[in-house]
Amino acid sequence: MKKKALAMLLSVATVLSMAGCGASGAAPAADTGSEAAAPAAEAPAAEEEAEPTSIGSSVEGELTVTIWDEGQRPGLQQIVDEWSAQSGVKATIQVVDWNNYWTLLEAGATGGELPDVFWMHSNVAQKYMENDLLLDLTDRIAASDKIDMANYYDGIVKLYQSNGKQYAVPKDIDTIALWYNKTIFDEMGVAYPDDTWTWQDFADAAKKLTNDDHWGYAIAPGNNQEGYYNTIYSMGGYVISDDKKKSGMDDPKSIEAVKLFTDMIADGSCPDLATVSETAPNELLCAGKVAMSINGSWMLAGYRDNEYAAANCDVAVLPYTKDPSDRVSIYNGLGWAAAANGKNIDAAWSLIEYLGSKEAQIKQAELGVTMSAYMGTSDSWVNSVDCFDLNGHMKMLDSKLVFRPYSRNTTVWEDMMIEKLQDAWTGAKPVEDVCKEIAEEMNKDLAEE
Amino acid sequence: MKKKTSTRQKSEFLWGWIFILPTMIGLAVLNFYPMIATVKQSFYKTGDFGKGNIYVGLENYNRVFGDTEVWQSLLNTVKYAVIEVPFSIIFALLLAVLLNKKLKGRDTFRTIFFLPMVVAPAAIAMVWKWLYNSNFGLINNVFHVNVKWISDPNLAIFSIAIIGIWSALGYNLVLFLAGLQEVPRDYYEAASLDGANGWAQLMHITVPLISPTIFFVLVTRVIGAMQVFDLIYMMIDLNNPAWKKTESLVFLFYKYSFDQSKKGYGATVVVVLLVVIMILTVIQLIGQKKWVHYE
Repeated sequence: MKKKALAMLLSVATVLSMAGCGASGAAPAADTGSEAAAPAAEAPAAEEEAEPTSIGSSVEGELTVTIWDEGQRPGLQQIVDEWSAQSGVKATIQVVDWNNYWTLLEAGATGGELPDVFWMHSNVAQKYMENDLLLDLTDRIAASDKIDMANYYDGIVKLYQSNGKQYAVPKDIDTIALWYNKTIFDEMGVAYPDDTWTWQDFADAAKKLTNDDHWGYAIAPGNNQEGYYNTIYSMGGYVISDDKKKSGMDDPKSIEAVKLFTDMIADGSCPDLATVSETAPNELLCAGKVAMSINGSWMLAGYRDNEYAAANCDVAVLPYTKDPSDRVSIYNGLGWAAAANGKNIDAAWSLIEYLGSKEAQIKQAELGVTMSAYMGTSDSWVNSVDCFDLNGHMKMLDSKLVFRPYSRNTTVWEDMMIEKLQDAWTGAKPVEDVCKEIAEEMNKDLAEE
Repeated sequence: MKKKTSTRQKSEFLWGWIFILPTMIGLAVLNFYPMIATVKQSFYKTGDFGKGNIYVGLENYNRVFGDTEVWQSLLNTVKYAVIEVPFSIIFALLLAVLLNKKLKGRDTFRTIFFLPMVVAPAAIAMVWKWLYNSNFGLINNVFHVNVKWISDPNLAIFSIAIIGIWSALGYNLVLFLAGLQEVPRDYYEAASLDGANGWAQLMHITVPLISPTIFFVLVTRVIGAMQVFDLIYMMIDLNNPAWKKTESLVFLFYKYSFDQSKKGYGATVVVVLLVVIMILTVIQLIGQKKWVHYE
């Protein structure tokens, strides 16, 4: 009888404690997302002991800088060290992988303990700005002789504005370009893509590049910035209206732009949905299974470090629709932001000012960290890697740059769009119907924001 | 009735509480508080960063009951549990009986079967993802078939349940092995003298005698299976046509709470899960009277 009571008690206790875990313990389990999974404990533990000592006109003490991309850390640390040499303030970069980064930031924001300086991203910028969590930089920028918002790509500047105030200084810019497998092009006797290609040429080439071993091109419903967003704007359609109130997915030109890809899937020059859902297009390119893949410049490190891609692949500009002037690259860019309630905001601003200065932005490109958000400072980025001709990405900066469509709660309608597009991918429903459904649902979501 | 407590008793009482205090604090801070906070949150439309929460009463619950996605994911979760729980228990029990015998390399086998328990779920998912890949995966290439293991909406949840069985096997096995130690040898001797074969011994001696362990494993496995998240999160993404048919309740909770920042609605989903688990557990606690034998 005693045993029975014990077993009962045990079971009940387990139910209770496990139910508690269900509510609170799910988040950390998801720490291996798609972004570069960098070891979380990158920063030396010792740094936390040193408290910033001074608030005021002199900048002293030590800053914590938090980012999510380990690939960028060595280069950025070098730039930050140069600032330290000038200012006398030590700053250490801490890397936290993409998923944990946002958990950390959200917890920090709720508890009032944000890092001194950190990256901001378009997904959440609006939320952070509206809640006054980021340091208002407007007056400091006006007083600065190093920073002038007119020098940066417009979309990134605007992204970090709310109610007429500027909350972050643009850090970098990305462009989309056409990655291709030279070996497959040679094998099939197709000329490499160049700046004369139209989207129709692209579709025709993909067909020629397809045989039993490989496909011409691959795209998944989730490849929006790295896919159909570019053709939508290139063909004259739009995803979201400027006032963020109306969806443009039911625009005939947007539908046509999506149809370009679904037709390629239907005629077999693109792998079907099941294939791309199990193996991402960029992985297919690295495995020699597709001849072309449209990717953002942030994929560079991945391709560079992949032996097969480094030996066989290269990159060209995206095709255009009717005239080279409608060649579109959907772009995005990070911003450097500081905590509104930081202990050493003068030092934090001084660091951000330096990171945004022409000097540091040139350095960032030179070191091959990323292309820079300061217009005209990225030229040396082209030489940062030997195995690819990065002019493919560089020259996209001269194309029609369209900022990645966003609203206050982008993920809600973006996820919905990806889910619904599956039917267009498989051919279960006509593309027109799917796009109209998306527009309808998206308008509802936008009305709720 | 009132008895006088001696100083010794008082001191034992005090020290007893001091000894369990760390655990109690841990439970309160890490389990009880989040639980209560979650239930509370489910009555609110939450604002950003814990500020500006608006009390909406039962509105979230009304929405949950009308939300087909919630019902679909509940069904997915149940499908997963129905496969994972019985098979992981039956296989583990049979293996435990085998590994309880004097067998050459017994410890090696025990270690091998327990290994999946030690490996991080993310690593497990990576390997299985490759095994299951319909074009380039090992399974399809070895057997020359073309089964879309994880992208066929009707099949994917079962493929994932198989991984679940494989992962849970080692844990169940260890518990059963421990249970088997308590079964006296002489029962088996007597049974074989009476001419009972291995199967009859298993069904009539082993199973009834370790039924308390089986019961414990069953209850914890059902709870664990109803909370499946990491395997699905790692295997399936938005591009996958099987997405809607594999999304579990905890997955849905994660999506609402963290991807879409609707923490209040996410909390409601998880409270529904809590209720479902409680009901299942109560049913098991009642049902055990019929088959669990305590000495």
